[in-house]
Amino acid sequence: MMIKNIWIIFIRDIRVNTREFMTLYMMIIPLVLAVGINLLSPGINDTSVNFALVENENPEQAAYFDDFAHVELFSDQQRVEDRVRSRDDVVGILPKDNGYYIMTQGNESELVLEYAKLLNVLYESDVQLEDARSEIIEFGRTVPPLKKMLVNMLLLLISMLAGMLIAMNILEEKMDQTVSAINVTPTSRSAFILGKSFTGMFVALFSSIACLLITGFYNVNLGQAALVVFSSTILSLLIGFIQGINSDDAMEAAGSVKLMFLPMAGSIAGYEFVTGNWQIFFYWSPFYWAYRANDMILSKSGTWPRLILYIGIILAICGAVYTLLAPRIRKGLQ
Amino acid sequence: MIEVEGLYYSYSNDDNFAVKDVSFKVAEGEIFGFLGPSGAGKSTTQGILTGLLQLQKGNASVAGYDIKNISRKMFNKIGMSFEQSNVYSKMTAKENLSFYSKLFDVETRDPMELINLVGLGGKENMRTGEFSKGMKHRLTFARSMINNPSMWFLDEPTTGLDPAIAADIKDIIKEHNNKGVTVFLTTHNMYIADELCDRVAFIINGEIRLIDSPKNLKLQYGKKLVEVEYGQDGNVKKETFSTILQEDKDLLNKIIADKEILTMHTKEATLEEIFIKVTGRGLA
Repeated sequence: MMIKNIWIIFIRDIRVNTREFMTLYMMIIPLVLAVGINLLSPGINDTSVNFALVENENPEQAAYFDDFAHVELFSDQQRVEDRVRSRDDVVGILPKDNGYYIMTQGNESELVLEYAKLLNVLYESDVQLEDARSEIIEFGRTVPPLKKMLVNMLLLLISMLAGMLIAMNILEEKMDQTVSAINVTPTSRSAFILGKSFTGMFVALFSSIACLLITGFYNVNLGQAALVVFSSTILSLLIGFIQGINSDDAMEAAGSVKLMFLPMAGSIAGYEFVTGNWQIFFYWSPFYWAYRANDMILSKSGTWPRLILYIGIILAICGAVYTLLAPRIRKGLQ
Repeated sequence: MIEVEGLYYSYSNDDNFAVKDVSFKVAEGEIFGFLGPSGAGKSTTQGILTGLLQLQKGNASVAGYDIKNISRKMFNKIGMSFEQSNVYSKMTAKENLSFYSKLFDVETRDPMELINLVGLGGKENMRTGEFSKGMKHRLTFARSMINNPSMWFLDEPTTGLDPAIAADIKDIIKEHNNKGVTVFLTTHNMYIADELCDRVAFIINGEIRLIDSPKNLKLQYGKKLVEVEYGQDGNVKKETFSTILQEDKDLLNKIIADKEILTMHTKEATLEEIFIKVTGRGLA
């Protein structure tokens, strides 16, 4: 009976959400952003080594490098330098005296740097593809870092949107005063809360997996990714319930859930830019752990013990938040 | 069907009670009216009996279920029509009823049958957000019948409806009552209570002041007089006669036989007049 009612509430919410612009937008925008990431950043299956060279400076060298890596040509040395300074890994090959020097931003992978050096030496030694006796099978870095970061951020955004969706659905019940009508049916309050949560969780899981597939991350462990999305979405759902109960209109509900962007953005910035010793200041944030776990999964370097540790921390934080919010949620749904 | 004993309820969890020592019984198949002005404790009592409010003090049972530990199964037997319409505005009338019908685990009625019953036929595929207040109220009323309840709670079922629709709603209530449905009617409308109720309770300031049938109350509190207007020599004359004194009865018979009667009214008290007499307050 309880499962049946959870399902009925879930189906109703999904159906109604497709009728309203704002909720429909929340369900579709992650997929649009995933396509955008594909358009704006290099594909996962592209070579992960990019060279920037000066156009017409040495066409023969550019053609040689193009056989082994992705080559971008620029009109002058300044533009090459600008390109190297951009977010993703690009190595500049610039003329100096009678030879060339390798220009890097400084945060490139050692493997990329070694590859650039090797390729330059091979070119200067006039080694041709036909001379090669060995074959490069794998290069180590399989995922462009910019793309990985964007997809990771998108996964966190999806969990947040799931919270917003819950807030909208609760707000709808509140404005139509329909909770009291549900309360005089055999549907228990737990079934009602679970039915609503299932909607947010389904949207989060579906959108996350779809976004991973759209952005080309189909080789990552989708089960691990789903677990991280599941755990990080719990917090968003709790916040969504509270904001839905406390808000009087859609804009207020969406606006208050948006406050979660602050700890989310802080957690991402903390993980990406703060040195190891200071990262302890972000340990309180479930978004930090979710971002860290996603990073591990997207890099295909995730191990189950570490993942379980990260998920355990996220769930423990969510559990503490639930203990604080559950009485208010139950009271608000009376 | 309903047994309430020593019911107290305080919204502020102190001695400021919204309902004080309320006790009454409603027999199976009865229409029981709960009459009182706004804030008297009618909706609070109904809220406790339907599980929308937690029972704090006292004992209550509805349809054989103890309200202290409500079993969700109880809701298969009861129907509740709210004073404030509460239907999903983004769903159509038919979708609303279909959704609710699936939440029960007993045989439910066909949504279209109920939509037609309350005069919303042809509007079933319209989103209720586009409905007028009265249409939403009718749909809320229709929804309360979806699970064939044997115990039916009605909170101001005719409020805001035009007289023709209100008459239809009253007919539906009577028809269901004739089939054995017990009705707990909360209202401040004395006319609907008078027309429908087997017994009424007057509640004011959270306390029940009186429980009796409308007929008994009228006999007890009404004046035994008849007021007659009749034509005589081109003029209209108005006289009041006792229905007890033989002399007045004879005179009245003579006027009826000889004169042209224009109007004739018994001077029985209305429920509202009785309410004011008993409680010292009006029903508005």
